[in-house]
Amino acid sequence: MAETSPKAEAAKLLPFLALGERADLQAAAAQHVLALSGSGPGRTLLAGQAALLQALVELAVAPPPAPARDAARALVNLAADPGLHKPLLAAEPRLPVRLLGCALDPHWPWAEEAAAVLANLSREPVPCAALTEALAATEPGESGLERLVRALCTPGYNARAPLHYLGPVLSNLSQRPATRAFLLDRNRCVVQRLLTLTQYPDSSVRRGGVVGTLRNCCFEHRHHEWLLGPEVDILPFLLLPLAGPEDFSEEEMERLPIDLQYLPPDKQREPDADIRKMLIETIMLLTATAPGRKQVRDQGAYLILRELHSWEPEPDVRVTCEKLIQVLIGDEPERGLENLLEVQVPEEIERQLQQQDHQEREQCEREQQELELGPGPQAEKAAST
Amino acid sequence: MEQQDPGTTFDDGMDSFVEKFQSQPYRGGFHESQWEEEFEKIPLFMKNSPSEIDPLENPDLACLQSIIFDEERSPEDQARTYKDEGNDYFKEKDYKKAVISYTEGLKKKCTDPDLNAILYTNRAAAQYYLGNFRSSLNDVMAARKLRPCHLKAIIRGASCHLELKNYVEAVNWCDEGLQIDATEKKLLDLRAKADKLKRTEQRDIRKAKLKEKKKQDQNEALLQAIKARNIRLVAEAAGEDEDSASEGLSELVLYGLSSENPCGARLSVDDQGRLSWPVLFLYPEYAQSDLVSAFHEDSRFIDHLMVMFGETPSWDLEQKYCPDNLEVYFEDEDREELYCVPPSSTLLQVLQHPRYFVKALTPTFLVCVGSSGFCRNYLRGKKVHQVK
Repeated sequence: MAETSPKAEAAKLLPFLALGERADLQAAAAQHVLALSGSGPGRTLLAGQAALLQALVELAVAPPPAPARDAARALVNLAADPGLHKPLLAAEPRLPVRLLGCALDPHWPWAEEAAAVLANLSREPVPCAALTEALAATEPGESGLERLVRALCTPGYNARAPLHYLGPVLSNLSQRPATRAFLLDRNRCVVQRLLTLTQYPDSSVRRGGVVGTLRNCCFEHRHHEWLLGPEVDILPFLLLPLAGPEDFSEEEMERLPIDLQYLPPDKQREPDADIRKMLIETIMLLTATAPGRKQVRDQGAYLILRELHSWEPEPDVRVTCEKLIQVLIGDEPERGLENLLEVQVPEEIERQLQQQDHQEREQCEREQQELELGPGPQAEKAAST
Repeated sequence: MEQQDPGTTFDDGMDSFVEKFQSQPYRGGFHESQWEEEFEKIPLFMKNSPSEIDPLENPDLACLQSIIFDEERSPEDQARTYKDEGNDYFKEKDYKKAVISYTEGLKKKCTDPDLNAILYTNRAAAQYYLGNFRSSLNDVMAARKLRPCHLKAIIRGASCHLELKNYVEAVNWCDEGLQIDATEKKLLDLRAKADKLKRTEQRDIRKAKLKEKKKQDQNEALLQAIKARNIRLVAEAAGEDEDSASEGLSELVLYGLSSENPCGARLSVDDQGRLSWPVLFLYPEYAQSDLVSAFHEDSRFIDHLMVMFGETPSWDLEQKYCPDNLEVYFEDEDREELYCVPPSSTLLQVLQHPRYFVKALTPTFLVCVGSSGFCRNYLRGKKVHQVK
């Protein structure tokens, strides 16, 4: 028997993926594709078959008995590779639009998978732009972005899909100014609805997405005063995941924001170190302007960060925490440096700072390695992100 | 005007009417002295309508009213009229009357759902200003049944929930309203207010919980301290025997610890873990008493007596109650026997005596002057033990 190339093998799957085919054959073919998409070479193979990709997309949005779930999961794996975005979008330019429809459909059972594909796609600028455009095509009465935020913030929006991956989708979208403008619209109530999600217990994906979104929003220093003020009151929601069951004195307690007072003895801190780091970075952004610094200081951030620092096990998070504490307890900078986001850094200084950064990172990695090779049972090596 | 023949013209009738006054004076004019009052009574020139219309006083007005509220008009027209009437009362801040008008309008059960929704919403507003937030909420919910997207009803409902301290519901209603109009300022403000109040309420609950826990821990520590010292406690109720379930007793103790005794003093512990008791001294000779609010368990009776009787008290008629003369006793009520306490003992030593039972967490002692006649009398016939 002549040796068939993997390409030819893959091409053979195509007819079975067509819509209208027998459901059991479709299912088997879809599973095969899903298996292929699990490996690097398999993905490259699939990427070369435009017709196959097209059929896969059709299946992913098709109603039962089509194997929509497996098709969607295959797309998730394909979209995880940024190099494959181009062939994916070439095969089906309307991919973002169609998946968006599924993700935001309250009755679609595989909405979570659709959202996961979008989360992977939107990491790259071209698909992100395509997605933004898809959202901008307004339906009467409610913009796509508004619907996305509503789907994310309303518990039970979709009875069969938790939609955690809408968090990272929003986070990626918030890299674009238009999205931030919508989130930070003072005439609406948008960013406020995201705040409680920083404490969402059941999904670090959702939490991470929301915190990422908030961090991106905080690059808009013109909005800092509003964000820190009573209409949004963002700071307590950033500090709460960083706070533990601290027993402060009555006097210290009264200085904290209301949401951080009298926390119960079983209060847990945010378990994911990356999210902790993002939270600290977000607060750091809010201290860029002098009025912002004052507000963050006045609302008792130092107390929470002090306790966090003595508890924090991860070296790089601890360093980030230290830097923020330095800003809070340090002297006010000289004239011309009031807004740290707008300062022009001279080249020489920039080089020195980068060198310092590099050294710190090396130090952290060394400490990390020491932690992993330390005495006692070997911990499982953490998977690289 | 008189009924005219079909043939004659209007002018003819007018001419003859006017000509009458060439010869006769007009009788229907105002009286010079009270023309202003009479002017006010003509419906067209009224500045304020009377709240009740008396047909005898104001026949014209009563007549007009009966035209407006004519039962023969359609239910929709009648309902609309009641709505307008209610709105007028509302503008005058007469909310009670407004409610009545709107209710009458709703009673017509007209078939226009918009009109009914408005009647409910307006009545809800009037109820709100009367402080009847539950009734207002009911009306708003009825309005929304007819017109789910009626924004005024949603705003009113959110306000009611806010007043009723249902902060979560208030925020939910605001979010529903904002889905209809995302920039409605009243809803944005209400939502922010309700959210802040909710978070404050949550803080207050946490604070109270922590306080309660602290108190319980303190009481538990006190109970342990008492147990560790082997001090016997007795319940208030007579006939309760000391072997009753220790659980029941500790409950009683905890209750006693949480409330203060009638004199406002209670058992406390200091930083070194030493107890201080409220102690009652009774002077049976003169039916007097003294309360030492914090008798440290390691301090001696004589130390307190020196202070309490530094000057002889006013009731000490014979001026004989001096620290050196005093004898201290405690009573074993069960066996009806007395025990004499050496003043140099500490409180703890006495409390640990196997026959000492602390009642109501307040140790009690009897004091009299040893050599006095009263004392001899008092002790006669009673068995007295000497405590070492």
